[in-house]
Amino acid sequence: MEFTLLFAAAIGVGSGAIALRWEAARGNAADCAADLWDVLISGLVVGLFVGRLAAMVGAGINPLTSLGDILIIRGGVATGPATVAGLSTVAVLARGEIVAVADALAVAALATLGGWHLGCLARDACLGTPTDVPWAMAQAGSQVGRHPVELYAAALFLVAAPVLALYRKRHIATGVAASTALLIAAGGRLVTEPYRLSLSGGPVWWYGLGVVVALVGVVMASRRA
Amino acid sequence: MTRLLPLLVVAALLIVSCGGTSPDIAGIPDLPEATTADLVASIEAGQLPAVVNVWASWCGPCRSEAPLLSAAAGEFADRVTFIGLNVRDSQNRAKGFIVEFLDDAPIEHVFDRDGSTVADLGGTSGVPLTIFMNADGTVSKIHFGVIDERTLALEVDELVQAGA
Repeated sequence: MEFTLLFAAAIGVGSGAIALRWEAARGNAADCAADLWDVLISGLVVGLFVGRLAAMVGAGINPLTSLGDILIIRGGVATGPATVAGLSTVAVLARGEIVAVADALAVAALATLGGWHLGCLARDACLGTPTDVPWAMAQAGSQVGRHPVELYAAALFLVAAPVLALYRKRHIATGVAASTALLIAAGGRLVTEPYRLSLSGGPVWWYGLGVVVALVGVVMASRRA
Repeated sequence: MTRLLPLLVVAALLIVSCGGTSPDIAGIPDLPEATTADLVASIEAGQLPAVVNVWASWCGPCRSEAPLLSAAAGEFADRVTFIGLNVRDSQNRAKGFIVEFLDDAPIEHVFDRDGSTVADLGGTSGVPLTIFMNADGTVSKIHFGVIDERTLALEVDELVQAGA
């Protein structure tokens, strides 16, 4: 069983839950009727499910004849389809108040991402490309120093979440918080990707697309204000 | 019609999934049986570190990681040797699995009928396992369970850096 992966996911979800409670206590979700916790969890679960199905199909595995394989998350989750499915689920559940719900979830989404990346400590999966920087970390029994790239991402998202919450309190333009969160999420993954080791180079096109969409969103939301 | 669409999609997928045939293994030679000594000697002779993936045709998770291993074997072919160690299986089922999921991958497969070679290397009876071995035939690390892309890339990089 993949308990370390579950533990990392629990850290992510827990971080999101804390952020939602904190935001609610500050009155940041008062104008939103949807149950934000339900929406957040539904988005995560549907995104994970669709991303896993897409990864299986992409690898030539038929999900219908290999139903049990769907649960093997470590076998791969396609980032792009997962993101699209997750955001689509949020949009469907939010119904008439999509932008308000997206704004209300922005801080929690960043906190969830930060918690998930911090969960690399539980999975023993924080390290990336070799480096000589003073804060380089090595695997147990290894002399090779490496970028703790997942901790970079965790730090970025966990710092960005409260900063965005403070920013949101002062700038009430609808849509800005959601677009900014997407910009930080996609941009954060884009700038840390070169420090990760992978076979495929990572889904940088999806991250780049996310940055472009987010920038358009920030500009449009700011102009409307 | 809109309500019927999901049913039609599922039906189409089922028809497609049921239309497959058993892999053709005619003409494919049996996998060579390998003792621990044979395996270590083979790695030493190749003078490259090795990734030994322990798999079986009856192992569902092995199917999940097969595409990744196939891609990795091609990507790192000049730096690392990939070996598939089939355990507690039958020759025909093993060959069928290779044809279906690992065809064309530059992976050398060997047969371990009772799992004794895996036990000698420090593995357990559970599959899949991935054993990372230095060019001198010593075990560097063992990953238990399905391996993901990042972990595989990291451990291969560790092997390559250690040998550099």
